[in-house]
Amino acid sequence: MNAERRVVITGMGALSALGATPEELWRGLLDGRSGIGRVSHLVRSGISVTTGGEVRAVAHDRIDRDREIARRAIADALLAANCDAAQCGFIWATGLDTFQAGSDGFVHRSAGLCFTELASRFANPRRMIAAACASGTQAVGEAFRLIRHGRAEMCIAGGSSVMLTPFYLIGFAGLQAVAVDADGDEPSASCRPFDRRRKGFALADGAGALVLETLAGARRRGANVLAEVVGFGMSQDGFDLNRPCDDGAGAELCMRRALDDAALEPHAIDAVNAHATATFLGDLAEATALRQLLGTDWKRTPVSGAKGAIGHAMAAAGALETIVAAYTCATGIVPPTVNLDEPDEGCELDHVIGEPRDADARTVLSVSFGMGGQNAAIVLKRTSL
Amino acid sequence: MTYLVASALKNDLAAIRQASPEMWRQVRRYNLPVQLALAAAGEVTNASCDPSALAVVSLAPCQPGSADLYRWGQVVTSGMAQGDLGDTRMNPTQTLHAVDNLAMSAFAISQGNQAYCLGLGGAAGQAWAGLEAVQERLATGQETEALLMAGDQDCAEDGASGIGIALLFSASPRPYTLRGQLVRLVAVERERRPHADACVPHAAVGLCSLLSAIAEHAGGRLTYEVPLEYSDGVDAVRVLMEVGR
Repeated sequence: MNAERRVVITGMGALSALGATPEELWRGLLDGRSGIGRVSHLVRSGISVTTGGEVRAVAHDRIDRDREIARRAIADALLAANCDAAQCGFIWATGLDTFQAGSDGFVHRSAGLCFTELASRFANPRRMIAAACASGTQAVGEAFRLIRHGRAEMCIAGGSSVMLTPFYLIGFAGLQAVAVDADGDEPSASCRPFDRRRKGFALADGAGALVLETLAGARRRGANVLAEVVGFGMSQDGFDLNRPCDDGAGAELCMRRALDDAALEPHAIDAVNAHATATFLGDLAEATALRQLLGTDWKRTPVSGAKGAIGHAMAAAGALETIVAAYTCATGIVPPTVNLDEPDEGCELDHVIGEPRDADARTVLSVSFGMGGQNAAIVLKRTSL
Repeated sequence: MTYLVASALKNDLAAIRQASPEMWRQVRRYNLPVQLALAAAGEVTNASCDPSALAVVSLAPCQPGSADLYRWGQVVTSGMAQGDLGDTRMNPTQTLHAVDNLAMSAFAISQGNQAYCLGLGGAAGQAWAGLEAVQERLATGQETEALLMAGDQDCAEDGASGIGIALLFSASPRPYTLRGQLVRLVAVERERRPHADACVPHAAVGLCSLLSAIAEHAGGRLTYEVPLEYSDGVDAVRVLMEVGR
């Protein structure tokens, strides 16, 4: 294997509840806007959860919605990086199978088939990542590792999910993970990460795609470098299928591994892009893990999460949040956690509330914690050329 | 270096239930591919120096779900058509059957494993990416052993048949338990040769075929040409192994 090489992000594509571009995602977060709303086809089905983060750019009854959402994000990232699929490996998470109502009835599409259809025009390596809610971050991390160790020169990494269907909403409601409709609720405020009134996440559709390549390659091509990936860590809780360990040990372990990989100490982290699902136990465990990781620095390390604005797009979540982290690296600005008004007891962190904060953040930790205890964390840094 | 140390194949739930009530107790609520993968993994970990410190690479089934899950899907389908899903509930156990990384999580819980893990999804041909990942990971020196596990089924219907497979690898030379000889994974080679129509999406069957080739090989260099139907529809894959004589 080659000696370690520096890896940078040179292109991004994002479809989320805040819009169909990375810029719209970032601008919406800075504005403190929630893209979560009442979803008309869910209302018609009569289920108890009718809010979510809808990608409006692709029709909800399109039979290949899973592939199309991914395809658009990937195409945008390749265009932004000015490169071609044939130059890139493909490290992608298509999440769970898609169950949706099509114009001709119920549609079941396998996530594996979606991956195969997307992957065929890419170079090696082509890996389908399956780590539940941590998939997007793990995909970016694996691409980083493959490039750093010389197994690839350039990769598309990220994930996509179509989750806003009765099939998944009823399933996650059974796990008491999603915010069920209640009288008087404002749909856009259904997901309240770390807040005293939180009651679960809003499911979402979405796709996030990033082009990763060597810094040397980016320089040769004259590509626009958005951020550098400097560390990746993952872990398993090895604890329970449905809930995190109370002390956040598995989450803390993966964050420490990411920092070790980056040869950084916790105090070097300028901001944290949190998983922040707004589940009762998940937020508590995450806050505990972050306080343990950051030590006394937790009081002055800004923390922000995007799910209050875009919902939880499962396999896409980590990739979309990596895009947010890249913007934070590039601008130094940490967006607010939308719908966080009053942090709950046990969730104490240096939350960014209400307004974006210009923290001159140059090194950002972005984390994802998946169902079943899959944890992934990456460290991004403002690039010094 | 990457040495194959142990392997296990499972395809008979009744035999698992009878031979290992404790294993059955752990896996009974999961769907068939996960049950079989975990049973196979449980067997090969007997040859591991420390199952809690293994790197784990797990392949999700290409045919996911379960008959129970899809029956429930039909309930949702008819409820949607009538706009009347208000009282529909889902058994949380069946929700698990939709989760792609279930086998990996369940293995980690059973072994207290917090080491490196890579869950690969249920697309055709990911088994060979899994072999590559095992080799890459052991080359880092961060773990000394790695597990590659997979389970799949012919379909998610009552009475479906399935296969679970697990392969244990070591970074240091140790004989393969089934041959009593060293079996080294040398390389996984690829050549672009698109053939999507020929693919059989099944996470485990390609690895079974590789184990058969190892079992039948007289010794020396083994060049295993992966049948195109077990590849990913894009590459012709060749697995190079060195089998002790």
